[in-house]
Amino acid sequence: METFFAIGVGAYGATTAGYLASLWSARPELGRMAAWLLRGSLVFWGVLLVAFAIQAGVGGSTRLWLGVSGWSLGALYLFLLRRHPITALGSFVSALATVLASLALLMHRPSAALTDPTWGAWILRIHIGLAFIGVTAFGFATAVSLVYLLQARALKSKRRTGLRKRLPPLEVLDSLSLRSIIVGFPFYTVALLLGSAQAVRGEGGVKLAYILACVSWAIYGAVLQARLTAGWRGRRAAILTAVGLVATLGVVALYSLGAP
Amino acid sequence: MQLMVLGLSHKTAPVQLRERFAIPEDRLPETADRVRAAGGAESFVVSTCNRTELYVACEEGVSDRIVEVLAELGDTRPGTVREHLYLHSGRDAVRHLFRVAASLDSLVVGEPQILGQLKAAYETCRDAGVTGPALNRATERAFAVAKRVRTQTGIGRSSVSVSSVAVDLAKNIFGTLDDKRAVLLGAGKMGELAARHLRQAGISELLVANRSIERAQKVAHALDGYPRSLTELPELLVQADIIIASTGARGYLVSKPEMKKALRQRKYRPIFFIDIAVPRNIDPALNRLDGVFVYDVDDLSEMATENLAARRREAEAAENMVAQEAERFLAELATDAVKPTIVELRQHAAALKQAEVEKALRKLQDLTPKQQKSVERMADGLLNTLLHSVMMELKRAATEPDGHRTVEAARRLFNLDAPAGDDEREQ
Repeated sequence: METFFAIGVGAYGATTAGYLASLWSARPELGRMAAWLLRGSLVFWGVLLVAFAIQAGVGGSTRLWLGVSGWSLGALYLFLLRRHPITALGSFVSALATVLASLALLMHRPSAALTDPTWGAWILRIHIGLAFIGVTAFGFATAVSLVYLLQARALKSKRRTGLRKRLPPLEVLDSLSLRSIIVGFPFYTVALLLGSAQAVRGEGGVKLAYILACVSWAIYGAVLQARLTAGWRGRRAAILTAVGLVATLGVVALYSLGAP
Repeated sequence: MQLMVLGLSHKTAPVQLRERFAIPEDRLPETADRVRAAGGAESFVVSTCNRTELYVACEEGVSDRIVEVLAELGDTRPGTVREHLYLHSGRDAVRHLFRVAASLDSLVVGEPQILGQLKAAYETCRDAGVTGPALNRATERAFAVAKRVRTQTGIGRSSVSVSSVAVDLAKNIFGTLDDKRAVLLGAGKMGELAARHLRQAGISELLVANRSIERAQKVAHALDGYPRSLTELPELLVQADIIIASTGARGYLVSKPEMKKALRQRKYRPIFFIDIAVPRNIDPALNRLDGVFVYDVDDLSEMATENLAARRREAEAAENMVAQEAERFLAELATDAVKPTIVELRQHAAALKQAEVEKALRKLQDLTPKQQKSVERMADGLLNTLLHSVMMELKRAATEPDGHRTVEAARRLFNLDAPAGDDEREQ
């Protein structure tokens, strides 16, 4: 399995390289090629994850959920690509999928608690599943925010005309980012509540990860609050969204490493 | 029959002369008919603000009469027309037609209007029945080449005017403009032009603010907008998505603190300033605020110049494409011209072979059916081997200027022009 996961990481990596080459060289055919690479990678990962779920059991490992998260991110991008001119976003989405896939490869921690057929194990599985839906949505929001920052910079600098033309409009990016957070936040909130219940029962046992999860939740809560009430958008919102994802990935890393 | 084009364009004649040759669209077929009466077998005429051209399929030696038609159109003498005229025939005419359709001969290289104008002129003449197979084929191929040039090169990709660059930038910020409100500050001509471009790009509402409300009303009426007083500027900063500044004010109209306040009120929605006033109306420092984008006239002109340079680079690739397509088209025409000779040659040779095989089989009556088949196959093989090099030579000669001599020689050598039955007599 390790080899297949490594191949999967390589496939996402190649996709990222293709998208980056398309972004900087202004050759649309490279973008189309990268989109096909992404489709191929998703098919490969789909088969790999199903095989892994059969072997390790559904919810038997954070590896599965990290893989699902990366896969969902790519699939969401391809779905939105049909409606929005967001080819340039591909490099960021596939880079993020590569990070998630790399975490899946490196931070495999089989959990006895997850394979335990008790209520507690089921709650833990739901907790992890919901948390990863949140991670996927936040990951997408961050990728979009990074493209926003790039586009805003290109527009402010009044140079790099080619790059500006290849990136999607600012308002489209802003709206996609906000919608992704709106979708991800409720899942992440419920996941955190279930995680809290586990922590109170003393079954979670990952205190540092729990604290960081609360911090990342607070960051996204603040982003949502600021965006929906004070009308925050642009640079500040984009940076805070990216910081939130770093904290969220920190939670995933800590959990996968089994940190105290 | 050859293709010929003659006309005047922005490259060869000043507007004072070109305007005399302008032909309204409904009179194009009538003009083409006059060209046909002067010796053209087929004709169509195109007339735009930058060119008047007569496209003709004709025999050689009729160009003088067609120049006379053109001179009559401009109510001038043929000698005067000749000073500003260009006349291309054959290969050069095809290339010229392809270049015009691909917008490589336009005043602003890559502008898209010429293709539409050419299509409209051609369709008007074709529907009137003054064109024919030669012109139809060349013109329709020119349209296909123009489409290929537009899709496969970046010749029409970038905006090359200040106003269209501003519209492009607005689309980079907002995506769609159909729910956006623009405000024109001042009522100068440049501002009006930029506002008109935004209107055409689909903005939903246009407000015109000026010190003189009467002038604001007048411009607003012309642009289908609403007049405002310049004293309402603080509110307009909150309402507008795009602001075109074009007043004669000596200082900046919007300060940084004012903009910060407006940004809070507008919940940080992005705002795009197009400052085409000189001296500038908008403090460039506003560009450093998050969500505020300020472009002055130099920024926009610089981009338009860059885009124009990029178009010129793309035009080189387009020129090569057009040249290749023209050669391919001419080669097709030439091959088509020798096709009847090739068909006749094949039929003639097949008839000879059939007669000889039958004669031989009559003499060799003891042959089994299998042996008879072998004789037939041998005759086929011999025929194909002999004809192969002749066919290839005919096709090659078709693409050369004096290729008709080779075709004539082949016809003579193989006796293709002799009346039916001569072959038997010779034998």
